[in-house]
Amino acid sequence: MGTAIAFYFAAAIAVIASVRVITNTNPVHALLYLVVSLLAVAMIFFALGAPFAAALEMIVYAGAIMVLFVFVVMILNLGAVIDEQERKWLTPRAWIGPSFLSLALLGELLYTIKPNLETFIEITKVGPKEVGIALFGPYVLAVELASMLLLAAMVSAWHLGRDADKDDKENKHA
Amino acid sequence: MTLTLDNFEALLPLLITAATTVFVMLAIAIKRNHWWNATVTVAGLNIALLSTVYVAFKPYFFPESVSLIPQTITPLFVVDGYSLFFSALILISALGATTLTNAYIESFKRNREEIYLLITIATAGGIVLAYSHHMASLFIGLEMMSVALYGMVAYTYDRARSLEAAIKYMVLSATASAAMLFGIALIYAQIGSLAFAEIGAKVTQEPSLLVVVGGMLLVIGLFFKLSLAPFHLWTPDVYEGAPAPVGAFLATAAKVAVFAVLARFAILESKNVLASLPFVLTMIAVACISMLVGNLLALKQNNIKRMLGYSSIAHFGYLLLLVLVGGPKFGIEGFAVYLAIYVMTSLVAFGVVTLMSHADSKRDADLLNDYRGLFWRRPYLASIFTLALFSLAGIPLTAGFIGKFYVVTAAVGAGPVGWIGLIFVVLGSSIGIYFYLRTIISLFLAKKHMHRFDAEFNWGQRTGGIMVLGAAAFILIIGIVPNPLMFLAQITQLIWVAP
Repeated sequence: MGTAIAFYFAAAIAVIASVRVITNTNPVHALLYLVVSLLAVAMIFFALGAPFAAALEMIVYAGAIMVLFVFVVMILNLGAVIDEQERKWLTPRAWIGPSFLSLALLGELLYTIKPNLETFIEITKVGPKEVGIALFGPYVLAVELASMLLLAAMVSAWHLGRDADKDDKENKHA
Repeated sequence: MTLTLDNFEALLPLLITAATTVFVMLAIAIKRNHWWNATVTVAGLNIALLSTVYVAFKPYFFPESVSLIPQTITPLFVVDGYSLFFSALILISALGATTLTNAYIESFKRNREEIYLLITIATAGGIVLAYSHHMASLFIGLEMMSVALYGMVAYTYDRARSLEAAIKYMVLSATASAAMLFGIALIYAQIGSLAFAEIGAKVTQEPSLLVVVGGMLLVIGLFFKLSLAPFHLWTPDVYEGAPAPVGAFLATAAKVAVFAVLARFAILESKNVLASLPFVLTMIAVACISMLVGNLLALKQNNIKRMLGYSSIAHFGYLLLLVLVGGPKFGIEGFAVYLAIYVMTSLVAFGVVTLMSHADSKRDADLLNDYRGLFWRRPYLASIFTLALFSLAGIPLTAGFIGKFYVVTAAVGAGPVGWIGLIFVVLGSSIGIYFYLRTIISLFLAKKHMHRFDAEFNWGQRTGGIMVLGAAAFILIIGIVPNPLMFLAQITQLIWVAP
């Protein structure tokens, strides 16, 4: 019962945040909601008994990748109007929605990790040890293949992202 | 999880292909020289191809040794005659695409060598698919192939068409992958296993809406990669925008791998998934729509690459019907033969387009108009192109006829459902003849004085040209004497895992 309540609460927040992502016209506001959406997904993992996956979701997606996105969007907006724009981003309208949803998630998390955790979330938990054993046991070849997958992505990105003019200059010298 | 030496030997084709990637990368790092980097790639893929023969027939070479197949390696992979046959087919198409790339990319002004890395990674992904009997390896293999293909389609990024095609392919392909993952998750939620065989065994015991929806989503994802109608919308644009040799890879290796894993999932290992009647009927409907849509849309195409794209939609419609109505024995044999023939024919068709084009022009030689009067300029090239188009149309004395023959034989023996499929096969083929012949006619029309595209004078002595000539010889010889290929499909079937 506890799991179901925790799941539906976090899932509702995820859906609301995702809808706001695609209805927002301002990229920074949309990204803030996307961060909330990912946090809500992390909460879902937690509620389903996968605290390790939840932590990874937080660190990797909401932490590293999304912050990178926000930085890129902010850096791309160079120009004379940038100060004006940044001031606009800091108006309450921009941050009050995402922070309210994040607070709700925080409240849920705090409620579930109270000492009565064992009774509230009644699913067997999958910790880092089990994940590690699965990844480097039966799925070890999949882990190796994932590295090939990343290599393919990196080679494509490197090839497409090359500075074409610089290449031309090098070719002339060669 | 311990892996024994036998496991490694059985994985040799995959390991060698992956190692080739590393070696090519090192070769580029040592010296960025197009000829030498391409040679390393071709050598690696050839060794991988030989290793498939070694793994399949080890006891014949070393009489004291124990056969390497069939064996399962971790829950993810199974090595049997089926996976080795399709690995070999994927490697042959990758070799064809590599030799074509070699001639084509020579005139590219930017870095030319990275495409070989992407080809080898995509090939390794294809081999993973041919080996997989588990959802995890299915997904990883599919993504390895797709991610490398995004880079390959966008490789000539000076052309806006190439970038546009890559973005379209990436967005739509990622959507299909998401649908597929969702389907896999639903199946897992109900069955509690990701292995094909267990899913198949449990589906009939506890059928539920969850599994049906999950299975449909999974199959939709695979149909998308095979560009079967109604999931075909990306095909013509991507085929048109991709550089011609990448088009050859997309049409051959990429589709062979996905079809191999689809057939293993749906027919061989989890036969029961298909036992439920609505599922079969849906798939047969998809096959029939694909035949009709593919041929109808190709009818008025003036772009050869788009026409080949639509033609591949129709061909995979025939193939799907053959697998569905042919049953596990005849259907799988016919499907192996059909795919081998289709791969060779596509390599010739795309090979001619590649030999006519160069990476430094604004577009490839893909308009029908570029081929007008080709026979009077390059008689041999025009002749083998004619041969390939005849084979795609399924005219007797070319290999394509043998493939069609299998489809019709299977459909005739399958009762009323087969007969409905047969109507569509006949309808589709007869529409198809129109546009194949239309292309052939333009090859023989009066010569134009101005032509923008032409093959190299000595195309027949370059690696790409030799490969195209060899594949054309295959089409002709198999069209006249099909027994060797049928025999090969039958003996490999003997060492296939019993379904």
